[in-house]
Amino acid sequence: MTDVTTTTVAYRPRRMRRFVRWFVSDIRGAISLTFLLLLAVISILAPWISPYDPVAQDVNAALAPMSAEHWLGADDLGRDTLSRLIYGGVASLYASFLAVAIAVLIGVPVGILAGYLGGWVDTMISRVIDSFLSFPAIVLAIAVTGALGIGLTNGMISVGIVFAPQLARLVRARTLVVRHELYVDAARCFGGSTGRILWRHVLPNAIQPVIVQVTLLLAAALLAEASLSFLGLGIQPPDPSWGAMLARAYQNMEIAPEQMYPPGLAILFTALAYNTLGESLRAALDPTMKRN
Amino acid sequence: MLNAARLHIIGRRLLQAIPVVVLSTFIVFGLLKLVPGDVAVTLAGDNASEQRIAEIRELYGLNQPFLLQYGSWLAKAVQGDLSNSLVSNEAVLTSIQRCLPHTLLIVALALFTALLIGVPLGIAAATKPGSWIDSIVMAIASLGVAVPNFWLGMLLVAFFSLQLNWLPATGAVAFTKDPWASLSHAILPALALASGGVAEVARQLRSSLVEILSSQQVRTLHAKGLPPSSILWRHGLKNVSVNLLTVISLLANRMLAATVVVEAVFAIPGMGGLIVNAAMHRDFPVVQGVVFTMVLIVVSLNLLTDILYSVLDPRIAT
Amino acid sequence: MRIFDLGQRTLRRRDILALIGGGVAAGALGLPALAQEAKKGGVLMVAAPANPSSLDPATGGAGSDHSILWTMYDTLVEWDYDTLKPKPGMAKWSYPNPNTMVLDITSGIQFHDGTPLDAEAVKFNLERNRSDQRSNVKPDLASVESIEVTGPLQVTLKLKNPDTALPAILSDRAGMMVSPTNIKALGTDTDRKPVGAGPWKFVRWNDNEIIVVARHENYWRKGRPYLDGIEFNIITENATALRSVVAGQNDMAFQLPARLKPVIERAKDLAMVSSPTLYCIQVYFNYARAPLDNLKVRQAINFALDRETFVKATLGGLGEPARMTLPSSHWAYNKDVAGTYPHDPERAKKLLAEAGYKDGLEMTIGGYTDQDSVRRGEVIQDQLGKVGIRLKFTRGTIAEISAQFFAQEKKFDLLVSAWTGRPDPSMTYALGFDKGAYYNAGRTADPELSKLILESRVSEDLAKRAEVFAKIQRITVEQALSAPLAFQFELDALSSKVKGFKPNLLGKPKFENISLA
Repeated sequence: MTDVTTTTVAYRPRRMRRFVRWFVSDIRGAISLTFLLLLAVISILAPWISPYDPVAQDVNAALAPMSAEHWLGADDLGRDTLSRLIYGGVASLYASFLAVAIAVLIGVPVGILAGYLGGWVDTMISRVIDSFLSFPAIVLAIAVTGALGIGLTNGMISVGIVFAPQLARLVRARTLVVRHELYVDAARCFGGSTGRILWRHVLPNAIQPVIVQVTLLLAAALLAEASLSFLGLGIQPPDPSWGAMLARAYQNMEIAPEQMYPPGLAILFTALAYNTLGESLRAALDPTMKRN
Repeated sequence: MLNAARLHIIGRRLLQAIPVVVLSTFIVFGLLKLVPGDVAVTLAGDNASEQRIAEIRELYGLNQPFLLQYGSWLAKAVQGDLSNSLVSNEAVLTSIQRCLPHTLLIVALALFTALLIGVPLGIAAATKPGSWIDSIVMAIASLGVAVPNFWLGMLLVAFFSLQLNWLPATGAVAFTKDPWASLSHAILPALALASGGVAEVARQLRSSLVEILSSQQVRTLHAKGLPPSSILWRHGLKNVSVNLLTVISLLANRMLAATVVVEAVFAIPGMGGLIVNAAMHRDFPVVQGVVFTMVLIVVSLNLLTDILYSVLDPRIAT
Repeated sequence: MRIFDLGQRTLRRRDILALIGGGVAAGALGLPALAQEAKKGGVLMVAAPANPSSLDPATGGAGSDHSILWTMYDTLVEWDYDTLKPKPGMAKWSYPNPNTMVLDITSGIQFHDGTPLDAEAVKFNLERNRSDQRSNVKPDLASVESIEVTGPLQVTLKLKNPDTALPAILSDRAGMMVSPTNIKALGTDTDRKPVGAGPWKFVRWNDNEIIVVARHENYWRKGRPYLDGIEFNIITENATALRSVVAGQNDMAFQLPARLKPVIERAKDLAMVSSPTLYCIQVYFNYARAPLDNLKVRQAINFALDRETFVKATLGGLGEPARMTLPSSHWAYNKDVAGTYPHDPERAKKLLAEAGYKDGLEMTIGGYTDQDSVRRGEVIQDQLGKVGIRLKFTRGTIAEISAQFFAQEKKFDLLVSAWTGRPDPSMTYALGFDKGAYYNAGRTADPELSKLILESRVSEDLAKRAEVFAKIQRITVEQALSAPLAFQFELDALSSKVKGFKPNLLGKPKFENISLA
């Protein structure tokens, strides 16, 4: 045990240095990470920094243009757009994390089981995965939301279910490789239980591509949330989300076109940040892939 | 081109496709049956008596066991009968026949646009990796993937329809009725849909071209003094066609999905509108029919891709 | 204040009030003069706000169906556009005694399939409407005891009790005549293949996309209709519908929300029509069970609602705050009870405390998913939230949510919806508040109210009827049986080539006077 502790301590400064080196060398990844962290901080601090209550209506400010009072204007019920953008960020981030968490919870175990056990279990699971992947994701999400009932959480559970097969396929492929590695065989020879082998040896080695994929899925989930809320199948009023704000702005496009920009740009930049970070992580974690 | 071995592969792929179709429709059917609440009550409408509701349950077979309902649906679907909408009583097949062309037109146009813009961008970036052209193309590609299609659609409507009044803001016209009007309605939705495609095509093309152009073989050709453009055309593009094919088939699948929301922005009576409406009304036969059709399309696309693969790259036929 | 805006023609509010109050004939508008110059021909492209529930008047149920149904079906009785006072349509009516109604049918009317519209056909229709299993209009004809053919063109109705609301009822769904030949041929599958005797005949209906009707060459009114046909393009989001008119893809969009008024005003070549209607946005209560069985809670909601702000926020001022289920211009309006519920949040809180909800309470409410309904819901949620009533919304399609509230499931305490109005006020109260009525979710009613509803149908004299309605309104308002919020003005956008359009008090457009320049 002492041995392990010392090594960890010894590693720490080197890790830190490695991180700093990456941060400096990969400027795009660094900016993305900073942006996302900033977004997280804003979301956590939302109650303190948001200038208005995001659902407080003020008829006299309906569709107000940008001004000192309302920095980003107000929506058709006179609710402050900046405040709604901040709180909408909370909802959108919550939604994308929820969807991806569900995808991970379903996809990773299923993928590992299929890959590790092989045989008829693998065949069956692979068939189901293929079936899920053979139809357009959001169509399935809509059908499932229809069944579960309209609402943000239900919508995101649907999206999570839809994303799970993608992860499962990835993890399965990775597990297939790891399964035959020497150290796994060794662990098996030493009489390790299946669960222990999966947990200690297979999972950690399959996790790297999962981390990359999760980052990319977060962007996809964010866009899915926006789409579902835009269609009225996601978040329920009066709570704001970026997609719902866009739906409302579209209604008033002729009168207050500037209302389309804040939520649209917010989605665009956040998705961009996730994607860029995902690519950076892939480059950083995968030694075979050189950046060109 | 199609020898016995290839036919064998195609046959095997076809056989593999069947369980996928059955399973995916079964999954959706099962999910829809999880619905709380009673469709029959909604269907019976205002003033309905208990008796009337029971009749409706009987009429639509809603009181049968789940597997039996699925079985009878599948048996009919195989014969081309997707049964009738619970809400409007229109034959689901009729609805789909009407909506599908609108969706296909937009997706086809979007794919075309993605190639039209994406291919030159990809080539431009690949010929001078690391240059400012490359950086700009890659930036466009990153934006293209991250931009929400429906937001892009809104911006296009705001600018091209309401500001400039060049193109219609909403609706669709059947291609057979008036090809020009049909295209003018489809241009904006297709552009909105194409953004991700442009990005994907440009990226994939760039990375595979860069790989090929930096390969030993191409370097040799360079050394031999062949002009760069002829190297690009003869060796580069020919070799990336397989990759491009993968991208196209992937894109078709993604665009079929994204069109759902884009259709809502443009009020296009396509498959997206059909399924959103049906899902909200819990109109199972319609949802089921749309999913069935989409699966068939995706599966056939994959099949087609597989066949083209084996034609383009004979090594795959093993 | 300009209410009517028919191109150059402008009418002042008091003119309208005079029209509605006094029942003056529609000729005052001077529109028939315009109609004489009307050109024949052309196809009108209309953006319609909803897919019909059915094209069979007996089986459908949505208030938004009428505008489409009227193109294919003429009614036995019609009404005056401005007052909704019944006038003869395909038939003239008379009451030889209070318990008998005689209908004399105009001769020479044919259905689209050539079947003559005679006494047998009318009897077939009325019998079907009041007894067919699939009929949704049974309650409208509840007072009819028997229907007899008393001449080739005469039908006599024996009534269980005097019913002077029948002419108005026969101007609604119950009076839309369908071809008996067609119905008999179709069996129970009648929703999608309509054959009537209206000015246009059915061509095709693609769900959620389009409905096409074309001229009926043998229409009984000579020289009509002007239009060769109408195409209803179904676009459910209002803003998108208006956009299609601005861009010239459609000629007309109707029942637009007031917030779109500036868009119509700004667009070139668009005429705007705005006029008062009976369309009442309101919150329905299920008062058969807790917590809304408590009068104080119902009153608290009514005090908590700020109707002026509601009209401003959701209707852009194009509406009238509703004090009861009839607008102030209506002949049966009772101004004595209009001031019962001023906006008074303190009073609301006090009433809630008295009812035992000192810390407020949570209630479930149903609503619809379209953006305008959502907006209304948000304003109500905000206003009630300020007195401690927390609303838990469930949203869905109109058909689904309405059924969950009104039919057997009884899912929510409240429903934010609208009452689309009926030609006769007694229909409104009979369908919405009477014992067992469908739109009375709790199905219970004060026996006094049921008695008064019957009584309102005894006399044909409007002044006498108004007295009875005053008593009915006193009960519905003082008992706080619903929370009426606002009467929505009709708002339509027409391209400049659409001529002769005239709005009506029901707020459901008819296209019979329209021609294209």
